[in-house]
Amino acid sequence: MLSYDFDWSVLWKHPYGRWMLEGIWTTITLSSLAFLIAVTLGLMVGVFRVLPNRITRLIGGSYVELIRNTPYLVQLFFWYFGLPSLLPQASEKWIYDHVPSLPYWTGVVCLGVYTASRVGEQIRAGMISIPTDQYQAAFSTGLTTYQTYRYVIIPYAIRIIIPPFTTEFLTCFKNSALTMTIGVLETTGASYLIDSYTWHGLETTTAASVVYIVITLCVVLLMAWVERRIHIPGMIARGR
Amino acid sequence: MIQIKNVSKWYGDFQVLRDVNEEVKQGQTVVVCGPSGSGKSTLLRCINGLEPFQHGEIIVDGVSVSDPATNLYRLRTEIGMVFQRFELYPHMTALQNITLAPMKVRKKSRREAADHAMKLLERVGIPEKAHEHPANLSGGQQQRVAIARSLAMEPKIMMFDEPTSALDPEMIKEVLDVMVDLSTGGMTMIVVTHEMGFAREVAEEIIFMDEGSIIERGTDISFFQNPKSPRTKDFLDKILM
Repeated sequence: MLSYDFDWSVLWKHPYGRWMLEGIWTTITLSSLAFLIAVTLGLMVGVFRVLPNRITRLIGGSYVELIRNTPYLVQLFFWYFGLPSLLPQASEKWIYDHVPSLPYWTGVVCLGVYTASRVGEQIRAGMISIPTDQYQAAFSTGLTTYQTYRYVIIPYAIRIIIPPFTTEFLTCFKNSALTMTIGVLETTGASYLIDSYTWHGLETTTAASVVYIVITLCVVLLMAWVERRIHIPGMIARGR
Repeated sequence: MIQIKNVSKWYGDFQVLRDVNEEVKQGQTVVVCGPSGSGKSTLLRCINGLEPFQHGEIIVDGVSVSDPATNLYRLRTEIGMVFQRFELYPHMTALQNITLAPMKVRKKSRREAADHAMKLLERVGIPEKAHEHPANLSGGQQQRVAIARSLAMEPKIMMFDEPTSALDPEMIKEVLDVMVDLSTGGMTMIVVTHEMGFAREVAEEIIFMDEGSIIERGTDISFFQNPKSPRTKDFLDKILM
């Protein structure tokens, strides 16, 4: 016997509807900004790891192993709760009180830094799959190391790694849910908050799930479009 | 133009080059042959500094390759190199492949680089393929674009690393024709190849390498008619059939 009274109106009733919409918007902007950081930083880390230079390889390798091998949740707590406690008490209090949207920005940076370690590995994998002679061909025309990577290797590697790249983008969106633990009211946080006021967690978590599915499907479509746009003419395409 | 003096190179404990000596004069074409693993490709990569060597000296156009003060990027602009598997940049058209280095290294304008690239494509016989991507070209066409890409830097020396080994038989000739044309035009060339017809036609010197050493050298015909070592004779028998 079903004893649960469904009330889907909690999703749009004032003020819950606004919370939900703000949550969705926060999820989208937070994950997009984080992914922007992830791609930029990931490119650097990936290139660092393949350069014929012991020091850059050590930096890149340490970054990946440190960030990839600790839980993302622990990193969030470390940046938000852990690190500020090193500061003198007055400034610690000041930061929590006065920095606007501190949880949000901590979430953006932390998710970006975390995802970068994974993106960096994808980029590295793409670059080491390119034959050595391709690098040497570029060098043999007099291009510098920077120019070789900038114009030849990275554009080539990115085309190779678009499919795993899409997966990272999706994971980044879903990982953004964890920022609710430091007080960011993104989609998951908003649905949890509405539940605590209304006791209609089934409706709110269902709605949150639908939101994530819609967003990720949009990302899949976007990346499929990107893949077609930068597809190399004449090369065998991924089956559709 | 190129002096190679007592060059030895090791990969760990494995010696890939053993006391190699060779001189290539301006305008000469030298053909290098020998079985795979004999160090031919490695020798080419030492000449333009793509691979370091531990012992000896290589002087290219008066500049020592192993001198730490040498600007290798600059040196490489003087030495074109063509690879067995073409190694065109797959995401760029033929024209973009050719204009990249002149624009980025020589700082030529796009138009100037493109005009020169079109002349080179005409020279290698495929101006109509300028806007095709490499994947849409046959092997022979790709290799000719690769030659044009090297020539675009107006090098003093051209090196070829088995340029026809990955080609179907009917495409070999179109690439060799371009190379013969370059050689007779006075380009200084080092060509790793087993195309003995090409060697007969244009080579001033043919050297035979085995296990990292030059074990035989000769000018044109003599090389084929009476090889001194049994190893060379054995090898020539196999490739000339």
